Amino acid sequence: MSDLALKSGGLDLSLGDIVRLDEVVDREALRDVCRSFFELFNLSVRVFSADGTLLADAHEEQSIHAYLRTTQGGERALREDQDAVIRATPSAPVQLGEITGAVYDVVPIVYHGRRVGRFVLGPYLPAEMKEVPKALLKADPALEPEKVRDALASMPRVRRATAERVAAHLRGILDLLVFSSHRAHLTSEMHVASVREGYRELAEKTSKLQAAYDRLKELDQLKSNFLATVSHELRTPLTSIIGYSEMLEAGIAGDLNEEQFDFVRTIHTKGDQLLALITSLLDLSKLEQGVMRIEPEQLDPAELVTDVAKTFEPAARKKEIDLIVAVAPGLPRIGADPVRVKQILSNLVENAVKFTPKGGHVVLAANEAEMEDGADGLGAVLLALPRRAVAFAVRDSGIGMPSGELSRIFDAFYQVDGSSTREHGGTGLGLSIVKRLVDAHGGTIDVQSALGEGTSFTVTLPEAEDGP
Amino acid sequence: MQIDFKAREITVKLVYYGPALSGKTTNLQAIHKLVAADTAGRLMTLETRDDRTLFFDLLPLTFAGSGGIQVRFKLFTVPGQVIHNATRRLVLQGADGTAFIADSQIAETRANQQAFLNMQENLKENAIDPVTHPLVIQFNKRDLPGVRTDEELDRLAQKGREPVYKAVALRGTGVIETFLGLTDLTWRHLEAKHQLKEKFGLDPDVFLADVRERLGLCGEAAQ
Repeated sequence: MSDLALKSGGLDLSLGDIVRLDEVVDREALRDVCRSFFELFNLSVRVFSADGTLLADAHEEQSIHAYLRTTQGGERALREDQDAVIRATPSAPVQLGEITGAVYDVVPIVYHGRRVGRFVLGPYLPAEMKEVPKALLKADPALEPEKVRDALASMPRVRRATAERVAAHLRGILDLLVFSSHRAHLTSEMHVASVREGYRELAEKTSKLQAAYDRLKELDQLKSNFLATVSHELRTPLTSIIGYSEMLEAGIAGDLNEEQFDFVRTIHTKGDQLLALITSLLDLSKLEQGVMRIEPEQLDPAELVTDVAKTFEPAARKKEIDLIVAVAPGLPRIGADPVRVKQILSNLVENAVKFTPKGGHVVLAANEAEMEDGADGLGAVLLALPRRAVAFAVRDSGIGMPSGELSRIFDAFYQVDGSSTREHGGTGLGLSIVKRLVDAHGGTIDVQSALGEGTSFTVTLPEAEDGP
Repeated sequence: MQIDFKAREITVKLVYYGPALSGKTTNLQAIHKLVAADTAGRLMTLETRDDRTLFFDLLPLTFAGSGGIQVRFKLFTVPGQVIHNATRRLVLQGADGTAFIADSQIAETRANQQAFLNMQENLKENAIDPVTHPLVIQFNKRDLPGVRTDEELDRLAQKGREPVYKAVALRGTGVIETFLGLTDLTWRHLEAKHQLKEKFGLDPDVFLADVRERLGLCGEAAQ
């Protein structure tokens, strides 16, 4: 029912509405206006609220009314007519008569398309009326025609056109009065409401912050415990395993025969792999919990690419693979964590070198690109604005992947062919970490591949933002 | 929306939202100037400082529907300045439709985005779903230098769902079109929700054509 609020009477701040005149207009001011009107035009003025409450009354007792009230029939006839005037709620101005031949103008006060009240102008005798109405003399047998005529003579006489002008004038003044009062009323209501809303917002934020702070403290504790446990409990024995197998390999505990040496080397290699896997798992869990700290700096893409290429040159040379670096000039700086962005590129280049056969080539390129964010269509015209970016591409002439697999390669532990882990090594976590790291930087990663022709990964990272 | 069955009166609240100085008040002033006095009431400006709205502006428009139904549109603006967020949220309360007035100047892109996101947030705070809420977007100040080209706007507009209007509110261009677009969207939304045709015999097509006819001439006159 929140949006279908049925009118309950009273001021509705959300619509800035008024239902009754007296909700906003000061009665004293209204009385003053009516009084000055009465003095200026010698015409009685009464203002009623929409529910019929008399708000202002400036009138003078007419002698004809006083005389009529001395008789029973006259009093009754007058009361009936005057009641009809008071009860009238017309939607447009009307003129109502009474037994004396005098008339009243009943004019609705319309504000914002709604009748909030009405005013009654009169009684007055139409200037055009010449004779005493017969019905008046017949109202009661005790009425004396001479006295009736005398009393009627003191009633104000007004031309119809004049009465209309006076009514229009009063309507204009009342409209202005309602408007000004309404504005003043809304202003004060808004002052109060704004302060209250501002306070509510602040209190809510404070309590949310406090709750978040408490929870963070708790999480921080949990996280520290977990990481400490994992790194200590898993890594410590593993380090020993690796260390002792290394020593065995080095012959510190005596010479090994060929078979023993092979076994020990396998333990050593697998130990290293396990250590890498634990490290990757730690990375992944940090990324998934959102506790991986990304500390962006303004980075030069060219420097970054050269740096990564240098690291893999020896490995590439060993496999007789051509490692080609192609950086477009004048690239914008990107805003990224240097350690993490190197991890992204290293992982991709390492894979490329790994899956490219002897004599092939790997290209590491950086080009200017454009990004558009705000994907859900809502307000796209405002939000999906192009942004400068840098696209890092790693292309190889390796074994490639079937197109059906491409959507799954970023899943954790997924490898196109389960056997490749055994054949080529690796944890199956690399690409899923790369994907999450790219996401954490607000970037995108795309892959294109054809079986037997090679694979191309493109990582697009946005330009560094200026200022804080 | 407010329905008064006894008085046969429907009140619809439309809010003009947008960043500071994008021309929300100017839109209302233009409508007030262009629409006949028997339809538009007095434009109320609540508290301003240096020409900046502090609370809101309010323009009432009244249309008589068929069968003696009074349809009242209340047009509100919000204060655009960032610090008046509490007031913006209050004004947005119970809004039936919103016109987002964006500044076309490229330099104002970020201000537009921030105001739009702020609007979505405030709609949610008021328990209004921004996804289904009737919304039109107006790119105002098309006559200034350093604005996005029409082609670019059209291309970007196609990515979104909401109707996009171009305007020069100071000259009254595009203002009536924006209002009519918003009214159309809002009324059809309300019809689907409250079956006004069934309850009041108010046919949406007939009523909207009526509103268009009453205001359409004003729009043409401004061109």
